Formats: sequence, structure tokens, C-alpha cells
Amino acid sequence: MKFLDLLRLITGNLNRRKARVGLTAIGVVIGTAAVVILVSLAIGLQKNANEQLYGIGDLTLIQVSPSYGEGGVMMGGGGFVMGGGGGGGQSDLPKLTNTALDEIRAIPGVVAVIPQEYFYSMMIMKYQRLEGNSNLRGVDTSDLSLLGLEAQQGSTEVKRGSVVIGAMVAANFYDPRLRPGQEPPPPPDLYDQQIQITAVKWDAEGNEIRKNLSVRVTGVLTEKGDDSDWSVFIPFSDIKALNEWTNGTKINYNKDGYNQVIVKVADAKQALDIADQIIAMGFQAFTMQSFVEGLNNFYMVLQVVFGGMGAIALLVAAIGIANTMTMSILERTREIGLMKAVGATNRDVLSIFLGEAAGIGFLGGLGGVVIGWLAGQALNVLAIVYLANQSTQQGGPPPSVAVYTPAWLPLFALAFATFIGMISGLYPALRAATMIPVQALKYE
Amino acid sequence: MTEPLIRVAGLTRHYQMGGTTVRALDGVDIDIEPHTFTVVMGPSGSGKSSLLYLLGGLDRPSGGEIWVDGQRLDTMDENRLAVFRRDKMGFIFQSFNLVQSMSAWENVAFPMQFAGVSATQRRERATRLLSQVGLADRSHHKPSELSGGQQQRVAIARALVNDPALILADEPTGNLDTSSGVTVMQMLSDLHRSGRTVLVVTHDPRMTRFATHKIFLLDGKVVSEAEYQSAALEAPLPSD
Repeated sequence: MKFLDLLRLITGNLNRRKARVGLTAIGVVIGTAAVVILVSLAIGLQKNANEQLYGIGDLTLIQVSPSYGEGGVMMGGGGFVMGGGGGGGQSDLPKLTNTALDEIRAIPGVVAVIPQEYFYSMMIMKYQRLEGNSNLRGVDTSDLSLLGLEAQQGSTEVKRGSVVIGAMVAANFYDPRLRPGQEPPPPPDLYDQQIQITAVKWDAEGNEIRKNLSVRVTGVLTEKGDDSDWSVFIPFSDIKALNEWTNGTKINYNKDGYNQVIVKVADAKQALDIADQIIAMGFQAFTMQSFVEGLNNFYMVLQVVFGGMGAIALLVAAIGIANTMTMSILERTREIGLMKAVGATNRDVLSIFLGEAAGIGFLGGLGGVVIGWLAGQALNVLAIVYLANQSTQQGGPPPSVAVYTPAWLPLFALAFATFIGMISGLYPALRAATMIPVQALKYE
Repeated sequence: MTEPLIRVAGLTRHYQMGGTTVRALDGVDIDIEPHTFTVVMGPSGSGKSSLLYLLGGLDRPSGGEIWVDGQRLDTMDENRLAVFRRDKMGFIFQSFNLVQSMSAWENVAFPMQFAGVSATQRRERATRLLSQVGLADRSHHKPSELSGGQQQRVAIARALVNDPALILADEPTGNLDTSSGVTVMQMLSDLHRSGRTVLVVTHDPRMTRFATHKIFLLDGKVVSEAEYQSAALEAPLPSD
């Protein structure tokens, strides 16, 4: 039997029992709509969570530090891991020496390995009458764009005698001579200004010792939502010199290892795998990707659970289809007998009845996809208004979407509904196909 | 003597009915020559319909052999049997068995779908056959809009659509008034004259006047006309 003839016969057969087909399909409409809405909701929630996440950190960066305790514990927390005193006496734990760095560089997918160091002691910044606090951070790269940072003013290049400051650093400046009741000054525009950095340490007797540096701000970074916003970036050699001054001893990174290293990978998808390889080398490695992955797994489970709820509705619909088809086959027993008498093979009969069941599934699926999509859009409008109100109260960015229906979902739902229809029709269709012609013809 | 179109040897068909075995056919041997018009006569329950369905490959025998056109049907698999029915046989039933939702021409064209005939050819052939049975002006009518005689003529057109060598008719006049019945029998006779082999099962003795050959069945066995007549005299035949 030709496929087109089969299709025409099936549509004709469905067409002559409109009411029954329609009623049966309603069940599929409800089930499919439920699947589309619920899965869209889960995907929307995930999208929202991811949007908020991508602001937090660059997913291609891995924070690596030596293991301080026993075993390679993964550290969390935005990558702010402070080095505790230059790695004193721990003997057998591997250190982040240049050799180790070279080994990390050799891992496929690693783009750059950048040592990073914070200033151990206290520092004060001065600009005109204003003073400010911040953390001083040395990065062993001349260009901060490698760390995913962008400049809103100037450049991301870190040169000797200059600093690049985070977006919030200026907001940290205050007037120490401000009298109570006086209006605090607005944050200064520090770009291309000369500021003074004063490092402070104390000797054994508790006397304060200061060291002044005058630097030019050659860049102000765009806000990232992480600790780079509050950092003052200086060349790595400068931070080393400052820390040596604070400790009063020379630092030999090749012997003691670096306290922290940032590993940049080419693709965020590789980050977890590379982090695992670094952990296997005996270091601690943290990547935002592991957090994102965990979150994604959670939303995947959510999608399956939500989809499962819709699938229950579809299961009920499937039983409805099976019921309708069984009835239909009983009524058309003589017709089946006739088809066989005039030369329909078992396969022809099976195709016709499977096709009819799949057709009911398809029609219901079509209705369900349209209704599900429309309901999702309506829900979106309501939810975004509500969530936007909430986020203005709580001060977060408003969500862009609440219910998100990706293009594959309606297609999948339609195919799934059709498939469910076909499966439900399997038993009745098999019964029809295997009927003995003479019995079918004589059926009253 | 030509090779018989149908050869049946030792054919039995038993049914289980509530613990007892009903012997619908009990050792039947028949040869039917091609281009003949055979009427199988028998009272209700004599096994004549069972014989027709077995010859048509719509049922399986309990024993014996069935050969049609040189092929053995009783051991043939379902698929080949379906194709065999499609290409070699045309069926006509007492209750017409038309698909109610289809028009006359669609009913006639229906079997050709399974043979993979193109839509235009189906339409053309169905229209031609309907005019042959005198229903050209009724081709768009549904079966419910046709009289019994007209419906049976549609069924005859349908039986001819794949140009079969053998026409099998089960009580073709059973649901018709006398004049329609005669028209239908006349048509079957015309088919025979045009070279087809026709086998009609009936309990109506009037149909035998078109026959070239007669087979009499009583209680699942082939009997002579004399035996059949005497049995008919002994006990009145129940009307079917």
C-alpha cells in the first residue's frame, strides 16, 4: 500500500468519527499542554538562574591554590582564597612552583596560567583630601582582559607605576575630616589621576612603619559583580616587592610556590575536567563551572519531574486512545474482514489502525502545543510583572523571562504525543491485524 | 481434459463448540474446471459457506489440501495468501460488505489501494466497472442511498476490480428480492460467459439454472443430486 494512500485512508477514517476523535484527543491536548508549560517553566527558571550566574564569575577561569590541609578539598566561595603566609613548613604537599605551573600549562585546553597575589598587610589609598581602602592585588599578566575583565575607562593594561582599579574602588573613598552632618563628597573620578598608596606594617615593638607609592590610575574596570570590583590591580613584581618589605624576607616562589594561580581555559565546558586534572596533581581547584553544573543538574531533575507530571496526564490520555481504538475495531470488525478479503495484508491493517491512533495523538499534540505555548506566554507576562516588582524591592536585576519554550520543545511534545498515540494503538491494531478473515466477516 | 482451477482433496473443517466438535466439512474432494459456473447447493449448516471461505483463503482447514490455480492455499503464509486473494479472487457476500462511509466508486476502488494502483487509474477503472453494472449515475452515492440490488451490483464491480480469474459468491441473492436476485445471477452468468470461473454458494434451487456444474453438500459431505433430493423430501429444509 502506498504511503500517500495510507495517509488519505487514515484521515478519511478519522474524519468520519469527528466527535469521538475530538473527545479522545482532548485528553492528549491536556497532557501535551501540561508537558509544554511545565517543562518551559523549568527551563525558564534555569535560564533565569544562569543569567544571574553569568554575572558572578567568568566560567573559563579556575582558581588554583596549594592544598593546606589533608586531601584535596575543593574550596568554594567566589575564588577569594587568601594565601596564609607564603607556605611555611609543609613538606610533602605539592607547591605551585614554576615547574608545577608548566605542568598545568601543558594540560590541553589551558590558555594561560597566571599567578596572583594579594597584599598581606594593610594599605591606605589617598587622593587629594580623600582616603580609601581596597585590596591590593598583583596579577602576573600585563593585560587584565585575559581574566575576562573589561575597562570602562582607559585600558586593562597593568604597567609599572600604574594601577587599574575595579568599578567600586572610587566609591570606597571618603573624607576623613568630614564633620558630622556634613554632606559626604561624591565618589571621585580617579581615571588618569595620581593616587598615593600607603602600605602599613608594624615591627616587633608595635611601631607603625609606612611605605608610600605614588601611582597613576590608567584604567577603571567595568562592574563584574565579583571581588574584582573592589580590587586595585598592580604588577605582580610590585606586589612581590611590597610583600617582601612587609615580611622582611625575600620570597622565592620557585621554592615556596605561589599562593594562588588563575588558570584560564579555552572553553567553559572544559573547565570542570581541567579542574579535576589539577586536583589530581594535588592542588585545590575551584571553578564557577562546578557550581553552574550542579545547578544545571538540579534544573535538569526539575525538568524531568515537571515533564513527568505532564506525562501522567498523557498516560491517562493514552488509555483513552487505546479504549477508543478498541471500540472502533470492534465496530469495524466486518470492515477489517472485508479489507483482508480484498487483499489487505496484516501489515496494511496494522498500519491503518496504528496510523489512526497516531493521528489522534498528533491532533491532540498539535492542540496541546498551541495551548501550552499560548499559556506559557500569558504566564510570562504575569510572572515578569510580578518578579520585576519583587526584584526592585530586593535590589537585584529583573528577570528577562519566567517561562521559556525553546524551539525543540513543541516539536518534541508533538512527536511524543504522536508516539504515545501510536503506542496506545498498538494492542488494538495488532488485534485487528491478526483477525481471522472469515470470523471478522461473520462478526455480528 | 484441462487442469482443474480448483482441486480439493480430503478437506475437513472442524469447529469446537461448547465441548462438542462440529464437522462443518468432513472429507470433501472436488475438482472445478476453469471457465465453469459452479453452484454449491446445500441447506443451512451443510458446510457450503465453510467450503467457500476455505477456497477463498479466508479460513484455514483442519485437514486436507486446497489447490487453486496451481498454488496450495492451506499451507500458504498470511501475507502471500492476502496477495493471492487480491490478485486471483473476487468476493461477493450476502450482506454486500460495503464500507458505509465510502461512495460507490470509492468502494469499488478500495481493493486497488492494496495493490498499489495509482489514484487516477483507480478512479478510471472504478467508473468503468460501475457503468458496466449499470450504476454510472450512482457512483457518488453512499451505500445507504442505494437499494439492496444496487449495493450488490457495486459489490460485483468491486469483485472485478483486480480482474480476478475466480469469482466466489456467498448467497449473493440472499438479501435481495426476486427480480434483483435474477439481475445479479444474470450478471454472474455474464461474467462466466466472458471467461471467468464463478462459484456460487446458495440454498436457493432457482439459481441452478445458470450453472454448468452443481455440487450438493449435506452434513459436510458431497452427495449426488439424487441423494440430495431424497434428503430434501424426507425433511423439509429449514429456511436460511
